[in-house]
Amino acid sequence: MKTSLNRICLKKMLSMRMLLPFSIVMYSCLGNQNTHAGLQSSHQSGSVAFSGQHAGMYFEGKFERWQATLILPPQSNPNITATFYMRSAKTGDSIYDSTLPEFDWFDVKNHALGSFVSTEIEMTEEGYQVLGDLTIKNITRPVSFMLTDSQDQLSTSFGINRLDYKIGWESDPDAEWVSKTIFISIMIKK
Amino acid sequence: MTTSVQRYHSLSIVLHWSIALALLFMFASGLYMVNADISKADQYRLFQIHKASGVLVLWALILRIGTRLFTSSPTLPDALNQQQAFNAKLGHICLYIALVTMPLSGWLMVSASPFGLPTFVFVDWIKWPNIPGVARNKSIETIANNVHWVTASVLATMIAGHVSALVWHKKKHNINLISRMWWNKK
Repeated sequence: MKTSLNRICLKKMLSMRMLLPFSIVMYSCLGNQNTHAGLQSSHQSGSVAFSGQHAGMYFEGKFERWQATLILPPQSNPNITATFYMRSAKTGDSIYDSTLPEFDWFDVKNHALGSFVSTEIEMTEEGYQVLGDLTIKNITRPVSFMLTDSQDQLSTSFGINRLDYKIGWESDPDAEWVSKTIFISIMIKK
Repeated sequence: MTTSVQRYHSLSIVLHWSIALALLFMFASGLYMVNADISKADQYRLFQIHKASGVLVLWALILRIGTRLFTSSPTLPDALNQQQAFNAKLGHICLYIALVTMPLSGWLMVSASPFGLPTFVFVDWIKWPNIPGVARNKSIETIANNVHWVTASVLATMIAGHVSALVWHKKKHNINLISRMWWNKK
């Protein structure tokens, strides 16, 4: 009895040992995985950046943690979903990076995640025309952008009105210091 | 038998003149950043420098008061009558109150500001905290702003009085008070 139990345990351990390298390979591929379920992307294989003007000075930053799934035409049920961690927004400027997580800006305590969910994707000559809902601070607004398809990457850039999402609503409602329009630039490696 | 000291402690002397220079900069930068026709970028940068310098002035003042309390101070010259000695003491106390009120009211103003910007003291690793419980409080910001400006005007007047008293005593009584705040020649 004891011997057979030992054999079963040994078999399980062996099978786990064989699976381990496979799991590591799979995990390392997750950063940019193009499967039948769609293109999996994240901060490891692409970038979600934002830029604007403060006091007349150009600034830019990026989300250091995000993930997205893209199922693009001609696949059936095309859709794009993305989640980005608001706390991971970094500009490299200490004052900006200390201010962004605060209540009036990204309010990361109450709204840790931002998201994008597509509502319509149309294939075009340059790539894909995407319509969808962008949610920041639990406020959802429709956005549209052209996702340009080049040989090895998908990319887009579009502007949002930060006041639509109550970003800096109390601090600078008249955009006296921080521009109303914030540009989002996305690059996804295929 | 005890001998009274002829001058203030060296640290007091260094701090006195450093704070004097810093105040000149604070007055100039404060007036310039608010009134001058400069770009938003320059105004923003000057605000951050003014804030960071204000924190340094506050630290210097705390050290100055500590040094003043824990070291011996020279006695006032006998040539001054009782009333003049009293006025000198009162003037100095008022100066200290105004000096401390300036950075404290500035700190309160920054802490209550709707912008909610942090203060870095010239380097990223020294972040001066905002006063808790007043964030984005417009009323407190307005009060602190008024106190800052009124105190600045009062302080400028008192500094003018402080310097005038020095000159007046020198001319009228031939008393060299400034030697108390410098290293004596041997």
